[in-house]
Amino acid sequence: MSDPAKSGAPEPLLEMRGVTKRFPGVVALDCVDFSANAGEVHALMGANGAGKSTLMKILAGVYPLDEGEIRLGGVPLHADDPRAAQRQGIAIIHQELNQVAELRAFENFFLGRELKRARWVLDEGRMKVETRRWVAQLGLDLDPDRKVGQLRVAERQLLEIGKAMSLKARVLVMDEPTTALNVEEVGQLFMVMRRLRAAGLAIVYISHRMEEVFAIGDRVTVLRDGRRVDSRPIGDFTRASLIQAMVGHEPAGAIPARPRSVGGEVLGVRGLEVRGTADRCGLHEIDLTVKAGQIIGVAGLLGSGRTELLEALFGVPNPRRVRGTVTVRGRAVRLSSPRDAIRAGISFVTEDRKGQSLVLPRSVLENASLAGLSLFVRRPLPFLDLRAEQRAVEEMVARLDIKPPTLRTTVASLSGGNQQKVALARFLLLCPALFLLDEPTQGVDVAAKAEIYALVDDLAREGAGVLLASSDIPELLALCDAIHVMCEGRITGSLPRGEATQERILDLATRFGRARTSGRQETASP
Amino acid sequence: MNTTATAAPESSGLQGLLRLASRFQGYVGLLVVVAFGAILSPSRHGVNLFLDPPNQAIILRDVAENGIIAVGMTLVLIVGEIDLSVGSVLALVGTGAAWLLVQPHWGAAATVITALLAGAGVGATNGFVTTRLRIPSFVVTMAMLSFARGLARICFGGIAIPVLPVPGLAPESLFVLARRVAGLPVPALLLLVVAVAIGLVLRYTAFGRHVYACGGNPLAARLSGVAVDDTKVAVFAICGLLVALAAIIHVVQLSQGSPNDGVSYELNAIAAAVIGGTSLTGGTGKVAGTVAGAWMLGMIDNILGLNNIAPDVQLLIKGLLIIAAVALQRLQPRS
Repeated sequence: MSDPAKSGAPEPLLEMRGVTKRFPGVVALDCVDFSANAGEVHALMGANGAGKSTLMKILAGVYPLDEGEIRLGGVPLHADDPRAAQRQGIAIIHQELNQVAELRAFENFFLGRELKRARWVLDEGRMKVETRRWVAQLGLDLDPDRKVGQLRVAERQLLEIGKAMSLKARVLVMDEPTTALNVEEVGQLFMVMRRLRAAGLAIVYISHRMEEVFAIGDRVTVLRDGRRVDSRPIGDFTRASLIQAMVGHEPAGAIPARPRSVGGEVLGVRGLEVRGTADRCGLHEIDLTVKAGQIIGVAGLLGSGRTELLEALFGVPNPRRVRGTVTVRGRAVRLSSPRDAIRAGISFVTEDRKGQSLVLPRSVLENASLAGLSLFVRRPLPFLDLRAEQRAVEEMVARLDIKPPTLRTTVASLSGGNQQKVALARFLLLCPALFLLDEPTQGVDVAAKAEIYALVDDLAREGAGVLLASSDIPELLALCDAIHVMCEGRITGSLPRGEATQERILDLATRFGRARTSGRQETASP
Repeated sequence: MNTTATAAPESSGLQGLLRLASRFQGYVGLLVVVAFGAILSPSRHGVNLFLDPPNQAIILRDVAENGIIAVGMTLVLIVGEIDLSVGSVLALVGTGAAWLLVQPHWGAAATVITALLAGAGVGATNGFVTTRLRIPSFVVTMAMLSFARGLARICFGGIAIPVLPVPGLAPESLFVLARRVAGLPVPALLLLVVAVAIGLVLRYTAFGRHVYACGGNPLAARLSGVAVDDTKVAVFAICGLLVALAAIIHVVQLSQGSPNDGVSYELNAIAAAVIGGTSLTGGTGKVAGTVAGAWMLGMIDNILGLNNIAPDVQLLIKGLLIIAAVALQRLQPRS
């Protein structure tokens, strides 16, 4: 290739012009222009379903484009399939990293292009050295013999980026890379990105997190409904104007903090202990209460026990691992299965929509009514009253503004925000006393986020108790009456509304080592 | 609703046809097979031997057995499991039923009930081992395939037990299964009853929804309060019950129960389900499609038989048909 675009190239390194993509019945991209210069981080933003991932999939050769052209370094890009795109210098770091968990780091690094001695024999030694060298350039000392499944997400990401570098990538697309990272890891990732930018790469950065885009982005392109609505240097945007560009109207923003009336105790937890397993952390000495009308937050870093707490309250872990008392509306309940928990009036919307919430090949209707089918059984015969079911779900679809508003579409074809609404609808039908919500707005666009906040607020107003676990601290601050902060399976502090700040939460969330000797120092593990 | 929805002009032609074909896969296939049958059929005295009503009745009679098993198999596949033991269980239950029939004190009703319960019991055992011991059903039912066959041969000495409608030898009432009602063979009517019943259960009961949910995403089903393990055990039990029903039909039609019968019946049942559009990954499938698939297989066997084509070639064609059916599913355009 002519010249790898050094200092301030006048012509963009990557240029996509008039890109149009139609799917049956829908124009996913309508004549979109997008360009990225060497040595810049270009943020690509837009609500779910705006066309970001379609655009990037076209770039990566996953989808053919219907109209338009793509040029890389002035030369037309022939991205007929992912390998061709990769060969010409396009690398994509997917949100769900495409790695084989059972293979070792260096095997993943060289997957499909293994180094060989003679003609057939794998040269493991050289592959290990090479893997280590590339990853070390990104500031990570990685043992290439470790299985990828045992690496942390941040390490896996760097492994993938290192692989892209070794493939001489010139354009690096990062799709929501920080979703599963903690604050420190995000900082490290940004350092790597800055270094790559300085080395002349064009980085396309896709994220829903505003703060990150302002921290790392040089330029922003906003897509909405398959069209490019704006593309300017980051300095031209404010948080509000960026959100407005994405949603097309001023968002409702944080819900107004109107006080809610608080009723009797819905959930009481005393001395809850859960024995840990190989892949789940344990819980220790958990005490908390949730009253009707309250939204109680659970904060903590990844692996702090947030999810495990909600799971324990929903009867997910083997009851033999659990001790302590749980009361719902004052009555002691035995939670040995999710079925028991639902009968006791508890609902749980999990963080992993596709893995744990939705039955992807089935319809919106079937997914929405799955937990509440007994409501529609016509006694004494065991047959369902399909019309009553349809009416109830239609009401939910309208109330939650699920799009498209047809009940027969499979949930697999819905956007993230709408999938989440279907997951919520399933439990709304049950009118439970207590909602356990785990990351209800993860991977959900700004507009849907505001709707979900309003909904959670409504639920509390209608007299339900809500226990909300989230890694998004501003979200907790906006919604919760009080926040319990967890670290290593314990509640390290509880902050009522008004006393909770981002700093105090982070401080409590990093009080590692109460079980160990050291006090509350921020010593990084080796 | 902001997405620019067009009238999808380009999907009208071949693509639309393809989508229609895959949506009604089983039925389109049926029509194609009937057309081929009519064309390829030899005729005698101006009568198209394939389309001749008596021949069609023979097809239906032959289809009933595999059809009933395939309906059970469809349930098992929808719930995300597989049952490889149906052929051996058919032999075990069938031979057992034949043995009971020739005992002096057992009437037809008692035999049928015992056989059905035994089939359901074997099925439930498959389900229990699969769910409680967390062993893949492929392995569990493969083991049962071997175990049931061995048990049948040990218990009944490896010889067929004749069942003849002779007074004192076997209750005559059972031989209603070999008759016809309004030109239709009774086994075919039984298949119709079974298919409609199971179809209704899948569509109109909470249990039916649970079956689909457990196959589509067992974790999500559990977190929605569905008793996933119980649902799976029930599905295996129903499959076993239907196999027992097929076994009784088998015994009556052949006038004997043999521990060596039913070999590779599981493949025919899976083939019917898959041709009918049921996916092996669970979560999707319809009983009507399976019946169409079984019927199609029966007609193909019949056409080839009429043309004196060797059974080995029939196997060949069945293999190609399965690939064609699944390929059609893969081609199905997704939005």
